[in-house]
Amino acid sequence: MISKFQIASKNLLRKKARTVLTLVGIILSSWVLVSLLGFNRGYEKALNRDIDNMGYQVMVMAKGCPYEAATMMLQGGAGLRYIEENVAKSIETRPEVDKVTPILMQAYFDPNKGDGGGIAGYFGVDLATFPAMKPFLRFHKGGWFKEPEAAEAVMGYEAAELEQRDVGDLILVPEKNVQLKVVGILERTGTQDDGTIFVPLKTLQKISGLDKITTIGIKVKKDADITGLENALYQLPDMQVVSFSQVKQTIMKLIATARVMVLSIAVIALLIAMVGVVNTVLMSVLERKHEIGILKTMGAMPGDIFRLVWTETLILCASGGVLGIGLALGFARLSDLLVRRALPYAPGGELVAIDLRLSATTLLTIVVVGLVSGMYPAWKAGRIRPLDSIRSEA
Amino acid sequence: MNPQRGLPSRHLLLLLPLAFVAAPLPAAVSCELNNPAADVPRLFPESTSYKTLYFSFASRGGDPVFKRVVSRLAGVPALYAPLDVPYTLYEIYKGKEKIGYIHGVNQKGQFGVLEVFVSLDLEGRIKAFYLQRVAGSWGNKFTARKFGTQFVGMTLKDFATFDFIAGKGTGRLAAVINPAPEALTDFLGVLRALNKNLILMDEFFYSAEKKP
Amino acid sequence: MSAANGIALEARDLTRIYGRGSEEVRALDGVSLQIRKGEFVSFMGPSGSGKTTLVNLLGCLENPTSGELDLAGRRIFGTGDVLGERDLTRIRRELFGYIFQNFYLIPTLTVRENVALPLAFYRKPGVEGEVESLLGLLGMEHRMNHLPGQISGGEMQRVAIARALVNRPEILLADEPTGNLDTTRTGEIGEILQQLNRSTGLTILMVTHNPDLGRLGGRHIEMRDGRACEA
Repeated sequence: MISKFQIASKNLLRKKARTVLTLVGIILSSWVLVSLLGFNRGYEKALNRDIDNMGYQVMVMAKGCPYEAATMMLQGGAGLRYIEENVAKSIETRPEVDKVTPILMQAYFDPNKGDGGGIAGYFGVDLATFPAMKPFLRFHKGGWFKEPEAAEAVMGYEAAELEQRDVGDLILVPEKNVQLKVVGILERTGTQDDGTIFVPLKTLQKISGLDKITTIGIKVKKDADITGLENALYQLPDMQVVSFSQVKQTIMKLIATARVMVLSIAVIALLIAMVGVVNTVLMSVLERKHEIGILKTMGAMPGDIFRLVWTETLILCASGGVLGIGLALGFARLSDLLVRRALPYAPGGELVAIDLRLSATTLLTIVVVGLVSGMYPAWKAGRIRPLDSIRSEA
Repeated sequence: MNPQRGLPSRHLLLLLPLAFVAAPLPAAVSCELNNPAADVPRLFPESTSYKTLYFSFASRGGDPVFKRVVSRLAGVPALYAPLDVPYTLYEIYKGKEKIGYIHGVNQKGQFGVLEVFVSLDLEGRIKAFYLQRVAGSWGNKFTARKFGTQFVGMTLKDFATFDFIAGKGTGRLAAVINPAPEALTDFLGVLRALNKNLILMDEFFYSAEKKP
Repeated sequence: MSAANGIALEARDLTRIYGRGSEEVRALDGVSLQIRKGEFVSFMGPSGSGKTTLVNLLGCLENPTSGELDLAGRRIFGTGDVLGERDLTRIRRELFGYIFQNFYLIPTLTVRENVALPLAFYRKPGVEGEVESLLGLLGMEHRMNHLPGQISGGEMQRVAIARALVNRPEILLADEPTGNLDTTRTGEIGEILQQLNRSTGLTILMVTHNPDLGRLGGRHIEMRDGRACEA
């Protein structure tokens, strides 16, 4: 006995080259589609994770042109604006606020770093509040500083690896020539913390000759009104407020246009592949006109012929979809790398996140679109009359 | 006063911490020239082009070679750590003819990493010395020309008569003047780095080329 | 459906006109005949005589323009309704098997699969084992797993015959079954048809140009200009 499915699959083997080429089209478009959908998911997840890992949701800093500040930072030297430490205390009293941590960022020029010198950056953090804000920070070796004014440093994993520092080694703050002892090296986090050197706040203030801070990290209570808090913080004189959820929204908006465009391209690629499918199946129907006519003489109803041809479309789309998604999964790391290179800002972690559910949804989409496209050739095949095909041969 | 809600500025503020660490961040574990296009002609004036190669113990002989190198380092690998890392080699060409190499190694210094480069001719003779990275107020004493030229013309043979653990010896290497007596750790670090550099080059390239 | 009074089919005034107005062609002009169960009838005549058109109508491959057709005592054409493709298919699969000049075997299916093909769409009760038995009867059991491209023209027509008979039809329609075969193979196929007719009582309606083949059947109907006369 032979089933309709077997007849359909054997029909596809008649013109192997044509079938393979059509399959390649579907494979490529499925690969692109699922990778892009995976990117859509992965990017947002990775961004959320990066923001969660910061420990605080809102940052307050002194008002000033941030572009100028950033440029001056990159070229070394002063340029930062400062805030008084007591501002942190006053923010802490607000009902929406869970915790605050004062931070001082400082940069010094190191003539022996890089080509022509470079800047070395330090984060002065409050021992009492900063570690509590980042409970997920794990240590590869050692731990946090013991005293709030200790001449000690905690290094991010990559910062330590770069300078070949171990716990117990010394580092030197350039310009100020202050020696600090490394007491802790963090585990890799996949965030900016990996390249950061943390110093006790008071120590850095002493080194810089300042009693001020640059930033206040604010952890908001669960279910608190972040917008309300931000509005209140805006009222503080000479302050600017950075909300990471807003940053996230900004970043998402920045890439939203790109995402829509790229997704459109993927959809167009899919539609073009489907046109290929329709063309292949239609050509095959026209080539088999006589055979289809004969099938009708054997007892095949128009519905049987419709289902037979539709099954061919289904086999093409399902196999192409499965192979394309399989390739996307196999090359997910490569796609991740390519996307990371192309983006101006890429959060850490997996950027192209393809899971079983996404794969299944994509496969279903491809199959449904394929079946809809395949309706015309199948309908045309069902309408062939035995006599038309026999007569056209005579 | 209207609150600042400039979106790009927020974005930039978030990236501000990145500015501290993202700007020149060399390769995490291998020692590479910061600017090969400028560094190669300076370190090898006769060169017209160069090729960059990557190698490691895994790609060039594995464990037997590693053990041999450790024994050549007087069996004290900790002094020279890290050893089992990727290495970058620059092959120097004049036209189509290979004329030498530039190779750098990382070595632990007192306050940070020492990145020690040498340019070598095809006989393994030092033609130039380049200290790309050193931390400490004495840095410029070691990066000065006066210090580096002491090594020009030396080969691995000159390093055979020096005890790198004790920091003493005879011959040309022992005659090298330490420009910063207060920075003994870094001075010895530079010598050890050169020793490691030349032994690795000998083991991976010069000996291999001599083999029939 | 079984033949009533031994009459397999009866046609009255069957007419088939193609085209319209000045372009009209009367392919068949009021043909009436009766065929009994177990008869082997050859339809002969020059090209354009209407023999194929007649056999197509008798085989329910299309509707006539006018006239009546009874099959096994049941009125098929002439009820006043034009039968749709689904209705014609239902009738065909119950009563008829067809073979043609071009064998129309599926090239990617084996001999066995080709013979079993009709069963994928419709299966009469009791036809289990019919595939193997027909292949044996037609001398093709040793080629069961070959593809059509690996067998000769004569063998392909045997396979086509087996396929046409797998659902135990009452009537076999053969339209120029040896048109693509040489003299030797023509003779073989002719013998097979004769054998089937004699041993199983299969009613055969055959269109042919070949006079030798035409003589095999017990009855000849000569067609000329859309009209029939018994030879």
